[in-house]
Amino acid sequence: MHSLRWAWSYIRHYKGKLIIGLLLALAVSALNMVNPYLAGRMVDDVMYGEKTGMLWTLIAFMIGTTVVRTSVRYGYQIMFEKISQNVIFRMRENLYDRLLQLDFAFYDRTKTGDIMARMTGDMEAIRHFTAWTIYMIFENATIFIFAIVFMFTIHPPLALAILSIAPVIAFFAFRLSSDVKPTFTEIRNQFAKLNSIVQENISGNRVVKAFAKESYEIEKFSAENEAFRDRNLQSAKVWEKYLPVLDSLAGVLTVVMILVGGMMVITGSLTMGELVIFNSLIWALNNPMRMAGWLMNDLQRFIASAEKVEELLLTKSPMMNGIKRSDIQDITAGTVEFERVYFSYGDGMVLEDVTFEANPGQTVGIIGPTGSGKSTLVNLLSRFYDTTSGTIKVGGRNVKEWNIHQLRSSMGMVMQDIFLFSDTIEGNIAYGSPNATLEDVQAAAKKAEAHDFISTLPEGYDTIVGERGVGLSGGQKQRIALARALLKDPSILILDDTTSSVDIETEERIQNTLQSIQQSKTCFIIAHRISSVKEADLILVMNNGKIIEKGTHDELLLNKDYYYHVFQNQYGNFDVHLIAGKVR
Amino acid sequence: MARNKFNVDEELETPFSMVHLKRLLVYVKPYKRTILFTVLLMIIASGANLIGPYLIKQAIDEEIPSKDSTGLVILAGIYLGALIITGICMKYRIRMMSQIGHNVIKQIRKDLFTHLQKLSFSFFDSRPHGKILVRVVNYVNSLSDLLSNGLINLITDLFSLLVIIGFMLAIDVKLTLAAMAGFPILAAIIFLIKNAQRKAWQNLSNKQSNLNAYIHESINGIKVTQAFVREEENKKIFHGVSNGYRGSWLQAIKVHFLLWPAIENISVLTVSLIYVMGISMIGSGITVGSLVAFVGYIWMFWTPLANIGNFYNAIINASAYLERIFEMMDEKPTIMNEPGATDLETIKGKVEFSNVVFGYEENDRNLDGINFQVNPGESIAIVGPTGSGKTTIVNLISRFYDINSGQIKIDDVDIKTVSVPSLRKQMGVMLQDPFIFSGTIMDNIRYGRLEATDDEVVEAAKAVQAHDFITQLNDGYNTEVNERGTKLSNGQRQLISFARALLADPKILILDEATSSIDTETELALQKGLEALLSGRTSFIIAHRLSTIQNASRIFFIEKGKIREEGTHEELIQQRGLYWSLYTSQYSSLVVG
Repeated sequence: MHSLRWAWSYIRHYKGKLIIGLLLALAVSALNMVNPYLAGRMVDDVMYGEKTGMLWTLIAFMIGTTVVRTSVRYGYQIMFEKISQNVIFRMRENLYDRLLQLDFAFYDRTKTGDIMARMTGDMEAIRHFTAWTIYMIFENATIFIFAIVFMFTIHPPLALAILSIAPVIAFFAFRLSSDVKPTFTEIRNQFAKLNSIVQENISGNRVVKAFAKESYEIEKFSAENEAFRDRNLQSAKVWEKYLPVLDSLAGVLTVVMILVGGMMVITGSLTMGELVIFNSLIWALNNPMRMAGWLMNDLQRFIASAEKVEELLLTKSPMMNGIKRSDIQDITAGTVEFERVYFSYGDGMVLEDVTFEANPGQTVGIIGPTGSGKSTLVNLLSRFYDTTSGTIKVGGRNVKEWNIHQLRSSMGMVMQDIFLFSDTIEGNIAYGSPNATLEDVQAAAKKAEAHDFISTLPEGYDTIVGERGVGLSGGQKQRIALARALLKDPSILILDDTTSSVDIETEERIQNTLQSIQQSKTCFIIAHRISSVKEADLILVMNNGKIIEKGTHDELLLNKDYYYHVFQNQYGNFDVHLIAGKVR
Repeated sequence: MARNKFNVDEELETPFSMVHLKRLLVYVKPYKRTILFTVLLMIIASGANLIGPYLIKQAIDEEIPSKDSTGLVILAGIYLGALIITGICMKYRIRMMSQIGHNVIKQIRKDLFTHLQKLSFSFFDSRPHGKILVRVVNYVNSLSDLLSNGLINLITDLFSLLVIIGFMLAIDVKLTLAAMAGFPILAAIIFLIKNAQRKAWQNLSNKQSNLNAYIHESINGIKVTQAFVREEENKKIFHGVSNGYRGSWLQAIKVHFLLWPAIENISVLTVSLIYVMGISMIGSGITVGSLVAFVGYIWMFWTPLANIGNFYNAIINASAYLERIFEMMDEKPTIMNEPGATDLETIKGKVEFSNVVFGYEENDRNLDGINFQVNPGESIAIVGPTGSGKTTIVNLISRFYDINSGQIKIDDVDIKTVSVPSLRKQMGVMLQDPFIFSGTIMDNIRYGRLEATDDEVVEAAKAVQAHDFITQLNDGYNTEVNERGTKLSNGQRQLISFARALLADPKILILDEATSSIDTETELALQKGLEALLSGRTSFIIAHRLSTIQNASRIFFIEKGKIREEGTHEELIQQRGLYWSLYTSQYSSLVVG
């Protein structure tokens, strides 16, 4: 019932149309009574009563009502389709909106396939329910009620006799309903699993091929695929148990009618014509009873899916309050302060007691072993996660107090794991600035040293790159992502391992450009190459989540600690004489 | 290659023909006997069903007028018996139908998935992944109804049609012929709306595919979207895509729903005709009872007919999906075993490129005449500017792409002449983009060699310096990770992916920027361990940090698809050429700055 109430919160926007639709359905149900009635008249008046003149009138009515009835029915069917499309359209928009708002923590724990299942299979179940099941329930219920009322006006005792079967049918319909519910929950959960397994296989197709693990993948897939079949068959087992019983019971109505009705005609308490009318009405009781099982079935399928969709819609993230917050001024000065920041993803502490300050125009280099918390640090800065304790201030204000969009708008970020969209190169660079002109895009690409290779592509900036940027080399992807961040002209620029796949000469050129544009920017550079960070105003050396060294390149070399060792490893065995003649 | 994106409909390459249906029937064929049996049951059931009106006619014409209550009870008893038979038949029908339907679906999906595994990189690279996903999962699902209910309904409906006509003929031949008058009109209507219908459903399947692709990509790119505050813009795009889907749905359904009213109206016309004819015939060979029964049969006659019409609707609808499914099944894998390909025997690790020319696109020359020979056990470093063709060279060794001209030999065997899996199984490849499957870290490393024991997995992890950070996680090797998760840093992902390649115990190890996100300290430790691991293996290492590769047996400097320099670190330095210039550039800033 809860799911129904939830669905209603969407459907109610179309209350007017729904009521009209249902009224039309009501009218159609009423019109459904006309033909049987006319058939009765046909028998009583025309055939037995030999009022042949009535024939044409009756036929005209019969055809007329059918034309009206079918047109109206067509009309409201389309109406319900529209309502349902609008309902799921809204739901989808809300879901999408929610997906955009959920934080990284949600995406860290949720499989893509699972979200896809909710956005596709579950939406389909809800669509089916609102487009079809709702009015079918209504239609059948009204046909049923009309027929009963009609039968009672003709001959109450016979009507009562026929109706005595109804409670038994209702009992079985409810049994079906409660038995089938869990099977639908299982089907849709398995559907999500199937989605996930296929989705990962597609995303990971390179690894699959590299290791020639195709048959293993097929094995894994088959297990889920077969489980999906089995879950469906389980559901069918429930139908197999109840639906034939419901069907036969519906037929018993006719038996009762002909037996009891026939007896009544024999005893003279019912006319033959009345019995014929009953006979022509009996389907109006039969069919709804037969349908009851299927409709219960649909209802349960809907509930199983609605629960999942609603669950996603209700998922909250702590960042969401930051979206509603409205602020007047934008972040202009990119000062960044970390004060005793601690952070944990849930396991152990990833950041411990991180404190530092950076001002506009300054560059902060971050260096340290894999997994020491470098990326985490910048992720906190953009508020992709909230600190466990301690505060982070941007532009003099706690990041939690900024409108999250404003906060992020002030930053240009190149993530370690480069993601490009299956769009043109231009579209990818302009991702953060949809209104940028091609000239802007090209200028950003030039700064990122990407313009040259883009120009050599046959379609240049219009080249569509595949999902995740396949077709481009690692270094090319990094430079496109860099151009994307530069085009935003942000106050704070964050480069997380951005040039690791770029050759050294190109990197050097990029660095020179960066230096010339970062006068007013606060810049964060995470890198492993000393050459990437050595010009920084402040270098943070991280290990196990702590800042173990802090200072400029020269200061840190004097420290003779971690940084010094890294330097020695990268440059120590270098023979300066080699570059004689190259250095100007 | 022309790539597709989310908002572009995929053009259909094959026109629709009945061939699709015939292919579908191939899947159903194994169940021929079950279907026949079910149809038999349905015939019995519809026979039992059809007795109904006849019994009622009998009651109205004979038993009731003659006040024969015993006869009436007997008729009711027969009716009840018929209902029980119908019920039993229905039970088995549901069972068989769902068995067939879901088994066929399972099989189609399996075939599709299996075929998908054969397709090469270029297939996956040329379209949004969401569009592939929707075919394997959602499109196949939408066949389920057609297969389970549709097919058997069709057969039984055809049969009940025959039976009803039989009953009708038994009552009166002339009236029966009159009842058939609606047939041609219905056929004409179906023919008229067919094209509009087909187009509408095709359009819908495209829009559905676009919507799914966009959702899929939105989920995968969510971090970039949030970082770049693109939410509002994406909402607009989503709105458009979603709207396109809604519009095409309504368009399709408008045509779809036309069939029913058409059938109902035709049927009422037929009934009217029967009334007119029948009433004029009363007395001359027809009784009121038989006329009532006859009219009852006509109503029944139109039900299966309407069902058949619906089946036709469903076929048109499903064919929009079916043709997509078969299109994918027909997609030719570009990398295939050549006829007569044999398994590559256990190799020693000799690799030879002669005059290799290759381009990703037809007119490109990403590699332009590559020649080299690498002996077993050698370690080759490949350096050069980004986009020069380094990754391309190593991709060709695993035959991820086929070359335009030239030859690639491993242990003196042309790799084109051996079976693809036997080739790739002997390589350990660490790709530039480390992919992590959802599952435990243990599972992810073990992917390299499924039969490896836990100890072997741990050994591999230790060798690549991943053991320490793994054991620091709460659940150690059993920590659940996934594709997008930030639980692991990029460097850590690289280490896992490295361990995976190593575990495969390959004769040829390919490391494409295996350590680009790994700090120098870890890298050095790794290198020390690696020396032992690399011995006896041929290895190709792509790296930008030159400190990584100085110990390589030979260094290839690649530029614009050609090997420009080749030799040991010392030799190349002495040459004072491209490598020297690259090598010194990383230090020059130190000296100058």
